[in-house]
Amino acid sequence: MDTAPSGTFGLCPVGPDALQGIRRQQTNPARWHGANWNEFATELGGLGVEVLESMAARGAFATDAGGTAYGLPHGVVIASSAVHISALLRTAQAYHVPVTVRGGGLTTEGESVAFGGVLLDMTGMSRVIKIDAAALTVRTQAGIFWHSLAEELRRENLDYLSAPLNLTSTVGGSLNVGGIDVNSPRLGCSADQAIALQVVTPTGEIVECSDTANPELFQRAILGYGQFGVITEATLKVRPYTPIRMHYFYYSRLRTAVEDLQMLDRNDASDYSGILTIMDSAVNLLVAFDSVERESAFQAQWQSRLRGHGELGFALRAAVRYALRPWKLPEAWYLWQRKRELFPEFRRPEYVRDGVMHDRTVVFSRAVWKFWGNRQMVIPDIATSAEKFVEAVERGNAVCRKYFPHYTLYCVGIRLRADHRPHYEMSCIPPDAEGWAYGCEFEPMIGTAVYSRDHLQSFKNAIYDIGVDMGASYYRFGGMMKGYIRRVFGDALVDRQLALKRAADPAMILNRDVIF
Amino acid sequence: MPRLTTGAAAPKQTYAACSGCSLCLLVCPVWRHTRDLRYTPHGRAKALQHGATIADIAPSVSACTLCGACEPVCPENIGLVDMALELRRALPTSTITENLLTRMQTEKPRALVTKSAAATVLLPGMPLSWNQVLLARVRAALGDMGGIAVANDHGADIALALETGAAVPPQHIERFLAPLRQYKTLIVADGLLLRQLRAWLSDVKIVSLGAALSSRAPVRARLRAGDLYVIEPRAYHADYEKLVTHYDKLRAETGCAMNLDLQRIAIPTTVSSMPRRFGWETAADREQLLWLLKGRNVSRIVIENEEDRPAFERVCTIPIVHIAELMNDETLSAGKPS
Repeated sequence: MDTAPSGTFGLCPVGPDALQGIRRQQTNPARWHGANWNEFATELGGLGVEVLESMAARGAFATDAGGTAYGLPHGVVIASSAVHISALLRTAQAYHVPVTVRGGGLTTEGESVAFGGVLLDMTGMSRVIKIDAAALTVRTQAGIFWHSLAEELRRENLDYLSAPLNLTSTVGGSLNVGGIDVNSPRLGCSADQAIALQVVTPTGEIVECSDTANPELFQRAILGYGQFGVITEATLKVRPYTPIRMHYFYYSRLRTAVEDLQMLDRNDASDYSGILTIMDSAVNLLVAFDSVERESAFQAQWQSRLRGHGELGFALRAAVRYALRPWKLPEAWYLWQRKRELFPEFRRPEYVRDGVMHDRTVVFSRAVWKFWGNRQMVIPDIATSAEKFVEAVERGNAVCRKYFPHYTLYCVGIRLRADHRPHYEMSCIPPDAEGWAYGCEFEPMIGTAVYSRDHLQSFKNAIYDIGVDMGASYYRFGGMMKGYIRRVFGDALVDRQLALKRAADPAMILNRDVIF
Repeated sequence: MPRLTTGAAAPKQTYAACSGCSLCLLVCPVWRHTRDLRYTPHGRAKALQHGATIADIAPSVSACTLCGACEPVCPENIGLVDMALELRRALPTSTITENLLTRMQTEKPRALVTKSAAATVLLPGMPLSWNQVLLARVRAALGDMGGIAVANDHGADIALALETGAAVPPQHIERFLAPLRQYKTLIVADGLLLRQLRAWLSDVKIVSLGAALSSRAPVRARLRAGDLYVIEPRAYHADYEKLVTHYDKLRAETGCAMNLDLQRIAIPTTVSSMPRRFGWETAADREQLLWLLKGRNVSRIVIENEEDRPAFERVCTIPIVHIAELMNDETLSAGKPS
C-alpha cells in the first residue's frame, strides 16, 4: 500500500519567480512514495523501535540548515542505541524503505533531508561514554554536538583537536564529511582525529573498526558521506584546553592574503590560520597561537613577512582608495557597517581578556550564525591542491561578484595525513593534493532579499564548474549538487564506489540520493 | 491594558524567523534530558513552520521550563520565552489555571507593602516569603536601612498564571501594578515575573534579587575560590547582555565557579519551573543537578534561589548557603551600604 505523508509546507520561501502559484511540497523529484510503509512501521514497532509520524516530529525535520531543500519523511526515528539502529536498517532493507541520517542538520544541499521514508535523528545518541585523560582520548556517541563534547571535556580541562567552527555540528556528521577548523592547517580535519568507530552497516551489522580492525570499513566510513554505515560511536583524540592568542591582518587583495596564508602553513608558523572576508575588499587573515612561545616565534620570524596591515593601517588605506573611487562609496559604506556589527562580537569581554580568546568555537560559531546565518543559505565551495588554490579563489570570487551584491569567503587549509590516503578517496580532499588541501566557501549574504531557486542553483553551478575545469573537489558534492560527482571524480572512480555501495547496501536504502 | 509580552530594546522575531541552527538545543535542559528535538524551541519552530498545529506540539510546550537559556543564544533574536508563553496561553485551559483564575477573581486586595516611604520595593517571591528569617537576612544584606519596602503581594499568582498560560484578568494586573509605580526601583526574586514587569513598568528600574545581592561589596567579599555560585537563570537570561558582564567580573574578582556553560549561559537547576513545582520530572532535575556539579571541585554551593537548596541537598552533601547568608551577623547588624 502506498501512503503519501499528510501535511503540507507553508509557502516556499525560495523561488517565487520560478514557481509562481505552485505549492512546493518537496524539492526532490525522486522522492519515495511510501510502498509498504504501514507494514514496515508496524514491524519496527514490534521490534521496539518507535516511529514518530506526527507533524510535530516530521515537520521539525522538513529542511536542513540550507533551507532550500524541502521534504517530509514518513516517520522519524530518534536514535537510542546501535542495536536499535541495526533493527531499523535490517527492516528497511527488507521493505526497501530509505533511511536518511541526520546529525546537526547543517547540510545545505538537502543531504540530511528525507524525501520520504525514515529520518533517523542521531542527536538522540549524544552522550559521552568515557574520557581517558591519561591517554588523551574520548569515546562518545556520534550524535553528540561538538559543543556538548567540549562542555564535557572542559570539566577535565581538555578540548577536542579540531572541529567545524559551528557548535551544532555533530561528531558523526563531521567524520562523514571532513570537518574543518582554523587549526586544520596544522592538525588536519575532524575526520582525521578518529581512532576507532562503531558503525552499523546498511544491512544492520554492528562493527567496530579502526586502522587495524576492519580497516576497509574504517576507510569507507570516514569521509564516506554516510553511504557505508551509520557511525554510532567514535573514539577521538583530545588535548589539554588552551585559550588562544589572536592576531588579525587585513588585506585589500585576495591573492596576497591567500599567498601569505599558505606561506604561514608551509612554515608551521602558526597554530591557527584562516581567511574570512567581507566581499573581496576587506580580507582578514586570522592567525592564532596556543602558547606565548609560539606567538613570540611568529612575531620574531614571520610577522614582518606578512603583507597585511593592522586595523588602523588598513582603514587609512581603504579611506584613500575609496576617496579616489567615489562611485564605490556604497561598497565602502557596506564594509563600514559590517565592521561595526562584526568586530564587537569577536571582542566580547567575557571571552577576550588581555588579547587572549577563551572558547574560540563559541565566539566564532555565535558570530557565524548571527552574521552569516539565514533561513536560506547556499555555500558552494571548491577544494583544491595548494598550487591551484589562488586561482580557484579568484575565479570563484568573480562568480560571486556577478551574482550577488554582498558575499563572504572563508578559506582554510587542511593538513593531510599520508597514511589516510584511502580515506580521502572520493571526498573533499582532491586527489592531487599533497601535504595540504585548501578549501574556499563562497557565501552570498542573502539577508532579506529573495532569490529564485534557479538563481541560487545557477550560482552554485558556476562555482562548481570551476572545480570541474580545474580538477578540484568540493566539501558539498551531495544532495542537490550530486550531478557534479561524475563530472569531477570521473566514471571509473564513481563506478567503483557505486559497486562497493551496492555490495554494502543491497536495497540502496541508506542516505539514498545523497551521493548515489 | 498591560501587554502580556515582554519588552526588549530590539524588536524580537517570531518562530517564523527560525533558521534551524540548533543553538537553543545546546542550552535547553529539556533537550538535555530527552535528546528529542521536538521538545526544544527549534523543534517547535520548525514544526510550526512546516504544518504542525499547536495541538501537535502541546507536550513540548508544556515541558518547557521557561528558564530562558535559549533566548540569548538565538542568533535570529527570536522572543523564545514570549513565544513559549504565548503557546501556553493557546493550549486548552487546565484545572490548575481554572482554579488560579477563580482565586484571582474572588481574592480581596491586600496591602501591597509593609512600608510606604521607601524608594525601593522588594518582591521576595514565594520561597522567601515563607522563610522570614532568610528574608530578614536578605533585607539586611541589601543594606536595608529602612529604605526598602517589602511587598506583601509579590505577584506570585501572576507569575504562576504566566507560567501555566492562564489569561490574567487585566484588572488584577492593574491592581498589582498600580502601587509599584510609585517606586523607583523594584528588586524582584522571581525571574519570570521580573521579565514581565520590565514590559509593564518601563519607567521603573527593575533588578533581580541575585544581581542586587551580588552587587553588594560585603557579599562579594565573602565569595571565594571553591564556591559554586548558582545564578538564578530566568532573571539572568532576561537581562543577559548586562548580567553576563556583571557575573563575569564577579567570577574574575572572587575566583568562584558558576553554573555557567561555555556560552556563559546559566545551567538551570529547573526545580522552580512549573512541571517541577507540581512534582513532575524529578528524574530530570536530578540529572541536571548532577551535570551542573560534574567534574567540579566544590567546597560550598552559594544559591540565589532558595528553592535550589532542597534540590542540591538531595544530590550532594556539599554545604549550601543562600547568598544573603554569606554575611555574618556582625556585618548584618552594621548594615553598611557598599
